[in-house]
Order: sequence, then C-alpha cells, then structure tokens
Amino acid sequence: MNFSLTSEQLEYKNKVSDFASANFGGSYVKQDKDCLFSRADWEKCADFGLQGLATTKAYGGSTDDVSILTATLAMEGFGYGCRDNGLPFGLSAQMWTVQYPILTFGTEDQKKKYLPKLASGQWIGCHALTEPSSGSDVFSMETSAKKVEGGYLLNGTKRYITFGPVSDVILVFVKTNPKLGKWGMSVFIVEKGMKGFTAGPNRPKMGLRTVPFGDLFFEDCFVPEENLLGPIGAGWAITNSSLEHDRCTILAGQLGAMEHQLEETIAFVKQREQFGKKISQFQSVSNRVANMKLRLETSRLLLYKVAWLNSVGKSSMMESALLKLHLSENFVESSLDTIRNHGGDGYISENEIERNLRDAVGGVIYAGTSDIQRNIIAKLLGL
Amino acid sequence: MKDILLKYINEQFQADDPIEAQDDLLGEGILDSLGMMKLILFIETEFELKVPPQDMTIENFMSIDDMATYISNRK
Repeated sequence: MNFSLTSEQLEYKNKVSDFASANFGGSYVKQDKDCLFSRADWEKCADFGLQGLATTKAYGGSTDDVSILTATLAMEGFGYGCRDNGLPFGLSAQMWTVQYPILTFGTEDQKKKYLPKLASGQWIGCHALTEPSSGSDVFSMETSAKKVEGGYLLNGTKRYITFGPVSDVILVFVKTNPKLGKWGMSVFIVEKGMKGFTAGPNRPKMGLRTVPFGDLFFEDCFVPEENLLGPIGAGWAITNSSLEHDRCTILAGQLGAMEHQLEETIAFVKQREQFGKKISQFQSVSNRVANMKLRLETSRLLLYKVAWLNSVGKSSMMESALLKLHLSENFVESSLDTIRNHGGDGYISENEIERNLRDAVGGVIYAGTSDIQRNIIAKLLGL
Repeated sequence: MKDILLKYINEQFQADDPIEAQDDLLGEGILDSLGMMKLILFIETEFELKVPPQDMTIENFMSIDDMATYISNRK
C-alpha cells in the first residue's frame, strides 16, 4: 500500500492552494450576508484552468486525460486556500455534473458547442435533477418529455438547483418512459432563452450562500432532437457516471477547509489566555483540537482511498458511502468544536468562524443525505 | 453465461418467484440503483470486461437475456 503523492501531484496541489489563497483568501462577510455570487471569481478559476480539469484539451479543457486523483488534490488545495466554501462547491457541481456527463455522453457537436464555453467560464451550467416531490427519492420525478416533430416538449418543475438562477445551460432529467421508473429517465440540454423555460430567483439558504440555488420551470418547453444527451433512457447512467468524481472533489474542498480550520484553531488557542494561562492548556480545549485532527486525518484517508480506487477503475460503492457520511458529518462536528474553542468570538459572524458550520450543514444533505449513506452501507453489508 | 447470471440474481435479489431469463428486472422493480451497481460490478468481475457508463442502458440490462446478449457482443 502506498498513499504517498508524487512530487508533481503535491506541486500542483500547492499551486492551486496558493492561487486560491491569493485570490480568495480574504473576507466573505458581505458576499455571505447578501448571498452574492461573483462571476469574476468564477472566471478567475476558469482562467487558472480549474473548470478545465473536467474537460479534455480537445474541447477547451486543461488536461489530456480527466483524472479524478488530480481533481481531488486540486480541490483539496483550493478548499484550503479559499475562504468561501461556496466557490469550490459550485466548481465541483458544474465540473462533474454538467461538463463530465457532456464529455462522456455527448455527441461531437454537443461537446464542441458546450464544453469550451463551460471550461472557459463564459457559460455556467447546472444539473437539474431534484423536484418538489423527489428529493432523496430522486427518481420518482414528474418532469416529463413528450415526443413531437423535431424534438420534445418538456413540462415540470425542478427544485433547489445549484446555479439554477444563473445558468446558461441546463441538463434536465425527465421521464420519457414512466412505466420503467428510474430506468425510463432521459436527459436534455436546455439553454437559457429557450421558449417555455424560466429560472426562478436565488433562494437564500443557511450556508453556501455565495452559490445561487433556485427552481426551474418548464412549460411546453420545446427542445430540439439534437439536444438529447446520450440515448433515450440514459438518465440513470448519466447521473451515476460522475457521482464519485463529484463526491470526491466536493468533499476534497471541505477537507481543505477543515485543515485550514484546524490550523487557525491551534493558533488561536495557543495565544488566547483565560484564568492566567493559554486556553490550549485546558484539556477540554486541547481534547477538542485532538478530535479535530483525528476527524481530518480519517476523512483524508477515506477520500484518498475513494479517489485512488476510482483512478484505477475499481468499484468504491462502500468506500464512497463511508466517505460521504464520515467527512460531511466530521466537518459539522469540527466546525462546532471550532466555535466552542473560540467562545464568543466564534459566534460572531464578522469574525468568519461560524460560517464554516453553516456551510458544513449542507454537506449532510446534498448529494445523498447521511441517512441515505447509512442505508447504502447497511444494504451493502447484507442487512 | 445465463445460468451464472440467473444464479447471482436469484441469490441477491430474492423475488417472490424465481426469476427467469426473460423477466423484466427493471420495469418490475427487481433491480434498484444499488442493485444495478452491484450487478454491473459482478458482471465486470465474472466476465472480465469493463461496462462503460454509456452501456448502462435498459436495452442492455432489462433482462438476463439482454445482459447475456450484451456480454456476448462485448467478448
């Protein structure tokens, strides 16, 4: 067993971290308070080549071969340097649930049309899967597509879609054969401005407030035949194809944030004095820091294992569920411990300590809740 | 090949009645998402082939007959 990184991998991770720190290492109090998404930040990331990690050079990407290991390390570095957890979350969402499915399932024309614009930051894309009545039971969706001459008519509503309010291109999951349930789903590429499509406003949320979430409405929205992504009925395969890439990189961003959080906490408890001594000398404080370190390292082990399994083409069903459950819950716990160790300072928004907790809570809900991960683990254990 | 698939599916997905080669595993809800992923892993291991995401379609996985045809074509 060898979990060591090559010098090139480490160098790239550090380069991304330095880039993030230099460009996104400042205060996000205002953007967080006002739920502001920065298109300029998005374009900076694209210029650096981050969105391009999910697209090959032939279609405007920054890599010859899309690598989950490289992308995971890059996002870990990014999460460490960037003080806005929303930005790495949004990057991963577009890269793996929009670009990668188009790269994997798209026709040559679709790849040429959409990928260069997405990789360059010119366009933003979203993955429209969840609906008002289908959250964890996502495949019970109601949005439908009816075949008409030259294309399809889409009808339905998508809910809580990351980047929904600002997207230029949307992968819409619809039922094309209701009798087959989840196996009768297909995906269409809808563009902003298509007749019958409207995007709702940003819906402010507890955390990750710099990334717009919103609802999408399709009312007899005509989509030409050539906008079908993959064959009819490929919806399940499409959403499944990038699940582990998405999971690894989103969680890698959180892992980077956890490492930064730990370092800041150590620095704080070593200088803060109460009752005539440094608070790091109180075991109730230092034990919390020790727990944070344990959560960080066990999360990292699972993350690297899943990324490695995927990079060598091995299945990681169990490990992936364990990772999602473990890391996302750990980020919540460590964010709480950080607030406890900072006392009153940790509770005040302008100090930018409590934001991690609000951002972390989303992680136990999106991309498969913690409850769903436990169900998967139990089922894989034969229960 | 069909016998191997039949044995695996009958052992893993205990339906009320024994599953036949032509049964619709997807429309009848015998296979859920996790079951499909486990089945694909089984096929990849047992028949030494890689099932790319593009091949994970109803045409290839609706029934054991369809799977056998797919595997034969890939061999």
